[in-house]
Amino acid sequence: MSSSILSQSKRSTSQVMRLVSLALIPGIIAEIYFVGWGVLINLVLCSVYAISAEALVLKLRKRPIKATISDNSAMLTGLLIALALPPVIPWWMSLVGVWFAIIIAKQLYGGLGFNPFNPAMVGYVLLLISFPVEMTAWLPNREIATQLPSFIDSLQLIFTGSAGGLNLQDYRILADGYTMATPLDESKTAFSQGLMSSEIIQDAHFSTNIHGWMMINLSFMLGGIFLLAKRLIHWQIPVTMLFSIYFISSFLNLIDDQLFLPGWVHLVSGASMLGAFFIATDPVTASTTRKGRIIYGALVGFFVIIIRSFGGYPDAIAFSVLLLNIAVPTIDHYTKPKVYGSTNQGLDKNER
Amino acid sequence: MIKETDIIELSKYSIKGGIHPQEFKLLSNRSPIKELPLSKKLILPFQSDNELVGAKKIILGDSVQYGQELLATRPSSLVPRSLSPCNAEVSEFGFSQFGHLSTIPEPSITLLSKDDDRPTVFTPITDWKNTKPEVLLERVKQAGIVGLGGAVFPTAIKLMKHKKTFSDSPIETLIINAMECEPYITCDDCLTKEYADEILQGALMTAHITGASNILFGFEDNKVEAITILADSIKNLVQEYEDLSTPLVSIKITVTPTKYPSGGEKQLIELLTGKQVPQKQYPASIGLVVQNIATIFSIYQAVYLGTPLTHRLVTITGDCVEQPANYWIAFGTPINHIITSLSIDKTNLKKITLGGPMMGPQTTDFNIPTSAAVNCIIFNRESKVIAQSNDVAFQSHQPCIRCSECETACPASLLPQQLYWFSQSEQWLEAERYSLFDCIECGACSFVCPSEIPLVEYYRFAKLQIKQANIKQQKSDIAKLRFENRERRFARIKLERDEKRKKTAAARKQAAEDKKSDPEGKKSAIEAALARVKKKEDNANP
Repeated sequence: MSSSILSQSKRSTSQVMRLVSLALIPGIIAEIYFVGWGVLINLVLCSVYAISAEALVLKLRKRPIKATISDNSAMLTGLLIALALPPVIPWWMSLVGVWFAIIIAKQLYGGLGFNPFNPAMVGYVLLLISFPVEMTAWLPNREIATQLPSFIDSLQLIFTGSAGGLNLQDYRILADGYTMATPLDESKTAFSQGLMSSEIIQDAHFSTNIHGWMMINLSFMLGGIFLLAKRLIHWQIPVTMLFSIYFISSFLNLIDDQLFLPGWVHLVSGASMLGAFFIATDPVTASTTRKGRIIYGALVGFFVIIIRSFGGYPDAIAFSVLLLNIAVPTIDHYTKPKVYGSTNQGLDKNER
Repeated sequence: MIKETDIIELSKYSIKGGIHPQEFKLLSNRSPIKELPLSKKLILPFQSDNELVGAKKIILGDSVQYGQELLATRPSSLVPRSLSPCNAEVSEFGFSQFGHLSTIPEPSITLLSKDDDRPTVFTPITDWKNTKPEVLLERVKQAGIVGLGGAVFPTAIKLMKHKKTFSDSPIETLIINAMECEPYITCDDCLTKEYADEILQGALMTAHITGASNILFGFEDNKVEAITILADSIKNLVQEYEDLSTPLVSIKITVTPTKYPSGGEKQLIELLTGKQVPQKQYPASIGLVVQNIATIFSIYQAVYLGTPLTHRLVTITGDCVEQPANYWIAFGTPINHIITSLSIDKTNLKKITLGGPMMGPQTTDFNIPTSAAVNCIIFNRESKVIAQSNDVAFQSHQPCIRCSECETACPASLLPQQLYWFSQSEQWLEAERYSLFDCIECGACSFVCPSEIPLVEYYRFAKLQIKQANIKQQKSDIAKLRFENRERRFARIKLERDEKRKKTAAARKQAAEDKKSDPEGKKSAIEAALARVKKKEDNANP
């Protein structure tokens, strides 16, 4: 004897994961366009790494391999790491990052649903701490670069470290001899050289550079809006996180507009949109209560700005998300919703 | 669309959560009510709450009359009275499955029906308006009336309890539940369409018993025809009372949007009154009593016609049934009989659902009999319903990704994803802290779960474990208390004995010493004499 639940045509977990991956497409296209073919190669490599790592552990754990792989969660983790990596990072580095994410951060905790930390961000942070130079070696975007490596060049760079006699550093140098990075990286360096916020923004390189990153971020936001419309993610985390990023950075900018970048720069640079819609919203590791998600999103945004403004790393989505992952059980504990009948509103005043 | 009138009003309140499953109600609610021919074999529960009271009145081979009590129960029993649905012969005492989720067989009695003559069992109370509520209540009890919404709680106790235990908060409103929010089920809908006047009489009787001054019918807006018919009946009734210038309680129909589980008692109360029943309390504590509309009809039958509750309206539906409809079916009718008499196609039939597809149990056992709890039987081809494994240790579903769909669907504002986490990891204390026992087991969470986790099964399992642990704890607490009391008693006895021994020893010692210092008692004799003299002197010179 078993109880019955009417079945309905609803989205399964694997469909959810697939739709989230599809929602990445606008961002992926923009990133490939502005940053180069390396992004696409990384996406393919990382998905393959992720699925192979998952299959390996499932085999060791004697769990159904095909059924589990088809939940698409491993692939999504691979895609997210790939999008966070610089475009021509050596193939073995992404391998280390993805395998660490899947094997250590996900499967060793018990697989999908049991991991307290966002696996993609664990993998990314491992790489960032271990290989800080390579991990911040972004190519200048299309609008500013002297030359973007072709598809074949990117392949060669990833697998051999050089293409046509040029190495990664050659590609990073602009026509006027500058070495380019991401806008956040660039501003970090500029601030350390004593430059003012207004000088940085007015700099021709910076403004061209940020335009590309703005387009990438807006493309990810487009995908995020699709997720919201399809009700695949809840609105609380992205909205509060973006608000928090904007208001806290604007507040700092208001205090001293020469030491801190204005809010809009923070919103459209780095992994702000990718983080807000695709990373912080990972339901497994985020807060699960309605109020909790608001607090979670707001605090992720808060730490993003704090670390970006005062920390040693240019971007901070990964660190903030991991920090808040630790806080999730506490947040959930204190944000339980009011259960039916617990407010005593049914009673008159004198009965209470 | 339903228009508001002075009788019909649209609900101003809403409930949290809820889902909109496909309804499948049109299958069965367009045919008139029919009567299923009596089965040769009837299987009825034979369980008493008290072995002493429930001594067997009948033996094998006895003839029983329609409406005869098969097994005595205590007056306050929570077990419904077991009455014979026809003239029959007792053919077997044994154990049978009754379609409960726990598959433990329960004591049963098997009857072989002789004929379907149904003479009046109780004297009809036609002048019920001038009859004391206690008398009507006794009739409700006699007729074996139980809640027909699915919980089968004895109605007399529900009505009585409110009067006695909660005398300080009188019942103001009688809410009649005609929501029927589960898919497929249409028995209350069809009952209202065909017996609106009788239901109204039943409602007035119940209001008379409880002393309620308001009657509120709750309907979902998908039952337009039933609402219209009932509203017309109310209009006529009001007119009739006005013509006779007799006072009448206020009768209203509240219509709510169709949403599952609006028909849950607590949800219905919130939809109709905007109030919530406080945790761990009954509706009576806020002056309400809720009865299912079919129960109200059987109260009418018991009081006005003197009929016991031995049959109920059952929706027979599903895509294996050629003519889905509602049938009057005697309690104890095995499903096999329904299949043969309605010539239901058995070739594609894999599983049947007893009750609604959201909460009802599923079975393949066609010997299971109908009862007061079975308001619907769905004969479907397999695909319509997810088979939910009863064995929660076997995790055949996908993992929970905490997507919170269940939280959105939960009508009790719980966190089903957290309850699941604590239930599967056996953290009972945490599960209780997250209000596990406020779960009404409606299944809305399981319905929306993308990983198809049988969440309600986990909660039932957790509840059972906690209840069992509590019973164990209580027992050990009692044992501990007894042991401590015994120890204390022994210590006290020992102390008293020691005290006594000390006292006698001291007295003996004193006596011995007295004897030593004053061997012949001269000293005390002189003292006594002196005292006497002193007293005399005092008396002489006041």
